Amino acid sequence: MAKGVLGNDPFQRGAAQRDGERARPEDKAEPSAKGSPSKPRAKSPGADAPRAHAQGKTSRVARAGRSKSASGPSRAATKDARTRAAKGTASPPPPKPPAPPRHATATRREKEPSEGAPPRRSATSQPPRPAASPRKAGVSSHAPTDGHGVEPAPGGMEHLREPAASTVAPTPVTTNEGTPRTERQREVDHALAEAVAAEVAETTARLAVDEALERRPGKEDAVERLLATELTTELAEAAAEEALDHSPTTERPEAERELAAAVAARVAESAAELAVSEVMDHAPRGGPPTASDERAPFSRGARRGEADVGDDAVEAETPDLEATYLEAEVEVADPTRDELPSHARRSLTLVPPTSDSDEDPTLHAPHASRAPEAARPLAERATGMLALARDIAGQALASEGIGRALGAMNGLVDAVRAGLGTGGGAHLDEYGKDPSLVRRLEPVLEFLYGQYWRVTTQCIEQVPRGAAILVANHSGALPYDGLVMSLALTRERPDLREARWLVEDQVFHAPVLGTLFNRLGAVRACPENALRLLDEHRPVVVFPEGYQALSKPFAERYRLKRFGRGGFVKLALRTGAPIVPVAIVGSEETSPMLGRLPASFLGLPFVPLTPLGPVPLPAKWSIRFGEPISMEGVPAEAADDLGEVQRLTERTREAIQGMLHALLKERRSVFAG
Amino acid sequence: MDVSRPGKGRLRVAVTGASGEYGKLLLPLLERDSDVESILVLDVARPEGDKVDFHRVDLTRHDAEAELTDALTDQPVDALYHLAFLFGPIRNGSLAHELEVIGTMNVLTAAGRARLPRLVVPSLTAVYGARGNNPALLREDSPLQGCPNSRFVTDKVEVEGQVRAFRERHPDMRVLVLRFAPVLGPTIENPVTRLLTRTAVVPTLLGYDPLWQGIHEEDAGRALHQALRADASGEFNIVGRGVLPLSGLIRQAGARPLPLPGPLFRGALHTLDVVGADMLPVALLDYIHYSWVADGRRAETALGFTPFHHVRDAAAALRRS
Repeated sequence: MAKGVLGNDPFQRGAAQRDGERARPEDKAEPSAKGSPSKPRAKSPGADAPRAHAQGKTSRVARAGRSKSASGPSRAATKDARTRAAKGTASPPPPKPPAPPRHATATRREKEPSEGAPPRRSATSQPPRPAASPRKAGVSSHAPTDGHGVEPAPGGMEHLREPAASTVAPTPVTTNEGTPRTERQREVDHALAEAVAAEVAETTARLAVDEALERRPGKEDAVERLLATELTTELAEAAAEEALDHSPTTERPEAERELAAAVAARVAESAAELAVSEVMDHAPRGGPPTASDERAPFSRGARRGEADVGDDAVEAETPDLEATYLEAEVEVADPTRDELPSHARRSLTLVPPTSDSDEDPTLHAPHASRAPEAARPLAERATGMLALARDIAGQALASEGIGRALGAMNGLVDAVRAGLGTGGGAHLDEYGKDPSLVRRLEPVLEFLYGQYWRVTTQCIEQVPRGAAILVANHSGALPYDGLVMSLALTRERPDLREARWLVEDQVFHAPVLGTLFNRLGAVRACPENALRLLDEHRPVVVFPEGYQALSKPFAERYRLKRFGRGGFVKLALRTGAPIVPVAIVGSEETSPMLGRLPASFLGLPFVPLTPLGPVPLPAKWSIRFGEPISMEGVPAEAADDLGEVQRLTERTREAIQGMLHALLKERRSVFAG
Repeated sequence: MDVSRPGKGRLRVAVTGASGEYGKLLLPLLERDSDVESILVLDVARPEGDKVDFHRVDLTRHDAEAELTDALTDQPVDALYHLAFLFGPIRNGSLAHELEVIGTMNVLTAAGRARLPRLVVPSLTAVYGARGNNPALLREDSPLQGCPNSRFVTDKVEVEGQVRAFRERHPDMRVLVLRFAPVLGPTIENPVTRLLTRTAVVPTLLGYDPLWQGIHEEDAGRALHQALRADASGEFNIVGRGVLPLSGLIRQAGARPLPLPGPLFRGALHTLDVVGADMLPVALLDYIHYSWVADGRRAETALGFTPFHHVRDAAAALRRS
């Protein structure tokens, strides 16, 4: 799904907000038509302002285009909403509701998910946002005023709205650099993701409820709309939070936000129908107080007292209800319950990592003891809803996880096919790199780089821009070091041009491995190729030790071999590109050579015997970049001076060996680093 | 030698091998070119065309050189295209050798006698040979390592040697050698198109997927035509845009790659070769093992030739035919 579609794009949010702001004056012009006795919501301007501010000026273009395209339909939607609102006020607000029909809703709850949800899901497979955006303006414009028309206690609403505003405001810059995220940053990311989810949930809920209400002819009411919306929003938010807590913490907050938004949107859409039916069923008997009642089970702790004041009639029914409830949905309750202990925290991250279902009975007890004082049927309904929400969130999460795993699998299969020579990519560059294959392999590479090898780089900022020759030690029976170097450079130094690494003939022309490396960006080591790459102002990674470094036994690890014939120095002298010595630690242990299997019948000198075959071991990698050796002041003719070449070669070699010793001394454990 | 420049009058062009694969691509373009006054065809068969001035010459005959000299000195021409090369399945290897090597010798001698201002000879990028020590992109000055197993390629390398010697002896003449990547297109027949279209499954070497190039027949025709006016001399790599791995080329052409383990494949090929079945030439082994990618930059800067088609499209054109 595209980012913008899910609403986590600040530009897009800006667009939507803008529309809302533009439309609001119209609504204010005729507040009486809406029949809202109270003033327009005091909180919303304050809440919106920082958000709008955070979007920055850069989004103006996008906003302008979008609002233009959206203005036509949005006007219509606003008008439509207004007439509906007017109709709603014609009937006086219903009196205080009696206990809602519990059994009816119970059956409905069981029915609805099966018939309502699947078609929904198919609808959401296409991006929900574009379809919604024209209407969104109208919806968001009337909703705040509506909300205040029915919400007598401002405190209640505050809780619901606050997260979105308060969290977006302090973190206007959400772009993420490649730097590792600290714990604090991750917290912020998390909060941000939740805020995004909340917002998406709110919007989607409104739209979905509107739609659902339209499908039910006649009984339209601003109150019902609001109730349903609130209900749905709550559900979606809870689901999104839960999804977030369950999802593994990634280094990429965008992904987190996207996930949260996706879950929220999906849940909100699916739950809207249910919420509407829920509200409609008991709206004729219920009025504004229902709102607070209904929300009570979901809402934060501060509101529990409020809910306690709710009707006693309901309370009387609770025991038997409780029993049925327990049988019916044992595993369901935790989202509600989880919210209770965390009321000290105001709005964000209320749901702690939830327990498994087998924990539920024990954890359910406190809830049960507390439950009688709350509105029981509502609680039950709410838990039912939350069950639904949880299911949907779980499915969304599962599909996300499975999707990622499948993506990685597909990438691996593609890589194997490329290695075997049946891949058949159609978009290779002239060196043979297949960018689309690299993209498909990205999950695997990310895992290897971040979690399996935990590559750390030191002084990578020393790599100069433009052409540079990165000279590194070569090691491991299977030379993953070139790949890791190129990954490190693309990740840590995105400002540089894409780096390539040179590979000796024995590896480059090895079947499968050489072909696969070529598709991933390896280039055959020869002066012509190196010159061409340097002419393109790329950093070029070379391993002057070459093949002899790969074929040395494990006992000689990290002992540098002869540095070829100094080809890289000649290259540097001819092109003027600086030499950057690089020490790599970890590659020897990743694929240690235990022995050699003769393989002359395959046209290979030998096949290395490694512990896990082609699978690398999870040794920790650290890469240190040394001070660049500048070629300034040395004439290009020095390339023919063997003494000068020898001197520079030796200097580079010593620099690398020194850094290797330092890194090895710092290293405590091969695998833990 | 400004005679050959456009705008200085009408051009007279001589073509040998006009009925061959290259001739079929070039002649329609010459017919449409308003600067070209007449096309002197020196061949054994008369091609269609309004401007065609047919003169029967059999390049394999021993007296071909004299006939050529007569024809070229009778009516002076501005350019000679020597396109008499074979691309069909070669049953008679010695005849092919006779036509390509001895025929070229005759043509060059006649061209030297007639003091032609411009000579255009097509060649192949396959003359570079597919070797493990090839750089990623082969420039025109790379050595022509050829392919010792293939008469087809060896003859072309020999022709190139003759033409280079000729160019050195006649520095006042413009001698252009166009090294074409495999020409692909619905009307073209050459070893590569046969390999790609004859069977639904194309054997490849397991674990290897070398980079191939190709050029669409339209682009090839344009390149030949552009050589008529280009203010340049020497060799040019004429390649399409982009590269494809062999498996990708096979897929684009509508077939499927069948990777076979190297030793097995080699043995099978040699056996077939000994038996005499011309299923697959042994020479192919090199080309499906190592990459042979030529750099087309010189053609772009010096010849002014830019390919329109990507190799993908060229290979896909093969499928549609």
